[in-house]
Amino acid sequence: MDSQLLLSGFIFGLSMASVYFLMSIGLSLCFGLMRIISLDQLLYYAVGAYLTYTVSTASGNVWLGVLAGVAISGTLALLVERFVFRRIYERELTFSMITSFGILIGGVGVIKAIWGVVPRPVRMPTSDLINVLGTEVPLYRLLVVAIAGLVYLGIWVFLNKTIIGKAIRAGIEDVEHVEGLGINVSRLFTITFVIAGAMSGLAGGLHAPLIMVDPNMGLEVLAFVFMVVIIGGLGSIKGTLISSLIVGQVVSIGSLIYAPLAMMAPFAIMLLILLVKPTGLYGSTMVKK
Amino acid sequence: MSESSLMVSNLNVAYGESKVLFDVSFEVAPKQIVCCVGRNGAGKTTLLKSVAGFLKPLSGEVTAGGDNLLGRRPYDVARMGIKYVPQDKKVFSDLTVRENLELGSYATKDYNWDTVFEFFPKLKILLDRKAGFLSGGERQMLMIGRATLGKPRVMLIDEPTEGLAPSIVTHLKQVFGELSKSAALVIVEQNLPLVCSIAHKVYAMRDGRIAAELQGGALKPADCEPYL
Amino acid sequence: MVNAIKWWWGILLAFGLLAAGRLFLPLPFINEVLIFSIYTIGCSFLLGRVGFISFGQPAYLAFGAYGTAFYLFYFGTNPYLAILAGVACGFIGACIVGPLFVRLRSDYFALVNLALAVIVFYMMQKVLAEYTKGDNGLWFLTNIASTPILNIGKSSDFFIFATLVAIGVWALYKYLDDTLFGACCLATKINEAKFQFLGYSNFKVRLIAFVIANTTTALAGSLYAVYLGSVSPEVTAAARTADPVVVTILGGVGTLFGPLVGTIAYTALRDVLSKFIGNWELFVGFILVFIMLAGEKGLWGSAAPWLERLFSRGKSADSKAEGQR
Repeated sequence: MDSQLLLSGFIFGLSMASVYFLMSIGLSLCFGLMRIISLDQLLYYAVGAYLTYTVSTASGNVWLGVLAGVAISGTLALLVERFVFRRIYERELTFSMITSFGILIGGVGVIKAIWGVVPRPVRMPTSDLINVLGTEVPLYRLLVVAIAGLVYLGIWVFLNKTIIGKAIRAGIEDVEHVEGLGINVSRLFTITFVIAGAMSGLAGGLHAPLIMVDPNMGLEVLAFVFMVVIIGGLGSIKGTLISSLIVGQVVSIGSLIYAPLAMMAPFAIMLLILLVKPTGLYGSTMVKK
Repeated sequence: MSESSLMVSNLNVAYGESKVLFDVSFEVAPKQIVCCVGRNGAGKTTLLKSVAGFLKPLSGEVTAGGDNLLGRRPYDVARMGIKYVPQDKKVFSDLTVRENLELGSYATKDYNWDTVFEFFPKLKILLDRKAGFLSGGERQMLMIGRATLGKPRVMLIDEPTEGLAPSIVTHLKQVFGELSKSAALVIVEQNLPLVCSIAHKVYAMRDGRIAAELQGGALKPADCEPYL
Repeated sequence: MVNAIKWWWGILLAFGLLAAGRLFLPLPFINEVLIFSIYTIGCSFLLGRVGFISFGQPAYLAFGAYGTAFYLFYFGTNPYLAILAGVACGFIGACIVGPLFVRLRSDYFALVNLALAVIVFYMMQKVLAEYTKGDNGLWFLTNIASTPILNIGKSSDFFIFATLVAIGVWALYKYLDDTLFGACCLATKINEAKFQFLGYSNFKVRLIAFVIANTTTALAGSLYAVYLGSVSPEVTAAARTADPVVVTILGGVGTLFGPLVGTIAYTALRDVLSKFIGNWELFVGFILVFIMLAGEKGLWGSAAPWLERLFSRGKSADSKAEGQR
């Protein structure tokens, strides 16, 4: 195995891991705090990508597009939280799964209506190659990894150093108790949901230049993202980080060895882990089903 | 007559299809210690939870100093000065003692921890320990200490001395006495000797109903027994 | 005798009406409804009785479809045997993944099934392309031999066959509902711990229910294969994963005729809307959200109690008259 190939495969895997990670954090937080499965996060991912396409094509600046993607996804998430999820927090998991799934496919339909079904290309903000340890690697992929790393730091600081973040961590443990202290948990839910949506939008915006933007992109990446959260366990940020790194590398290095393996290997790993620990690597065992 | 700190009238509560509280009424005067006793399953915790806003009653009235509590979200009730301290000594284990208190301060906008440390000096030493590593007694101190932030007018405390060593129970007894100088306390307890020594009034509950209302002062555990 | 009629009349009426619809509705529509409703009833049963939603039903549909397709393409020409082969594939597939899947929490279950569907799609499209001919699909319409009595290669005869199969499937599910097993399924959904304390095994009940539901789904896949005369990876595409879920909710979860009503509504909606709007998926998604927010009873779920009251009012009026005489 060529070491140069291995290195660029490794970087590729890191950039995939970054995209998966940004999406999975949202899902994990939403589950941990609000006990909902928010499949509509995949919609915000697609929205982020499409806004990046539109704004970058119009303005010529891809980063502006990504910013727009994040902003619009966050806003959309806010609206969905306010009008849909607020009514269903008390219900069981299956309920939120089905409802958010409806939002996802409805939203995909809207995207098709506005942008059509033809896949769209998004220009990479920089096509420079950078020399890392003797291998030429695309600068953009490194930037994606760097941004994801910054986001992880940001989330860490938010959850550990700010009072709202601490309230969210407390809420993940016992949300009733947090409410009993006199803290407005409704607002906590909204904040968390919007953060999740914005990050999914960021994932979409960053991923867009690397692939073609098409209406079903959310559904296509759905399986991978969920493999990541299932392996890492819903509700654990650390678990999500580790499992996205694992899945990213498996997909990347796997596709170098034997292409079909790239797809199946995460699935096999997921099944193995679930066999041993039905709640995922770091997942919490929930009393309510 | 001065307004009561807490008044519950004809409260009926059900979990889904099964009714657990039947026409419960009780009253707590300001600065009074009222204890609620009864066997497991009598409905004591359900009663506190309903007052605090965690359960929606089928019918009845709950007012505090004239303000209506029914239909409000729990955090609203807490902000009105009615603090609920649940049983099982649940603290936020992943957060430190300091952070647990910070959450209490954030909720009540009361950043003065002096009274908390007056009641429980030990908490000052434990500030940087993760709450998950505290002993049962220390957790209870943290919960009650945190609940005193914001100068509540009513504290609903569920089984505070369960599983605690006698020395800590004595300490808590002192604390309750001090607390009642500024707030009304409703304490659910199984420890009858403690109840008899601090309560101004005792409600005995059985099968979801108030079986008896007993005046404190010269009460003995044997007096409560028949109603449990 | 009376009891037998009482037991059967609902099913016979429902499919009798559908069969009568043959007179003024297009044959393809009715065939589609028959097959699709069989596809859905498995999903509805899992959700309504056992409490699990699966986003991966296309995987089991593919087991059945490809099982049948392989038989007809490589081995033989008898469509009945082909269908049997497809059902067997589905059964085996469900038995393999079942023991792992049913142990999971409800959300993991849904997602693991979705991952399975994606994997199966990928396998059929790329990995096994040698055998499955990838995106081009397997075509075997001409391979289907004529069979005596009912030539199910022909649409009109297929319709009769499918109706009989559907009646059989419905009878099976009604029977399950009426037995102890049906009660067990509900019990395991409502209160796992209690069920265990009573001495039953949650795992066993769920596994059996899972295998039955997904074998039914595979049966639908086999029927599709014979009806269309070809199979391609499209049947298990990620986008198609929504169909059984939407239809289940639309019709009313856990009711016997919900899947049938839901399928009719959904297929009709799709056929009509797609003539005017290229983009009817938009509506599907929002209809789903709307139903969930409005009480999740679905079409048949809301209509059924109302109809019951209508009929029982009639009955009690009769018995009142009887009593007075």
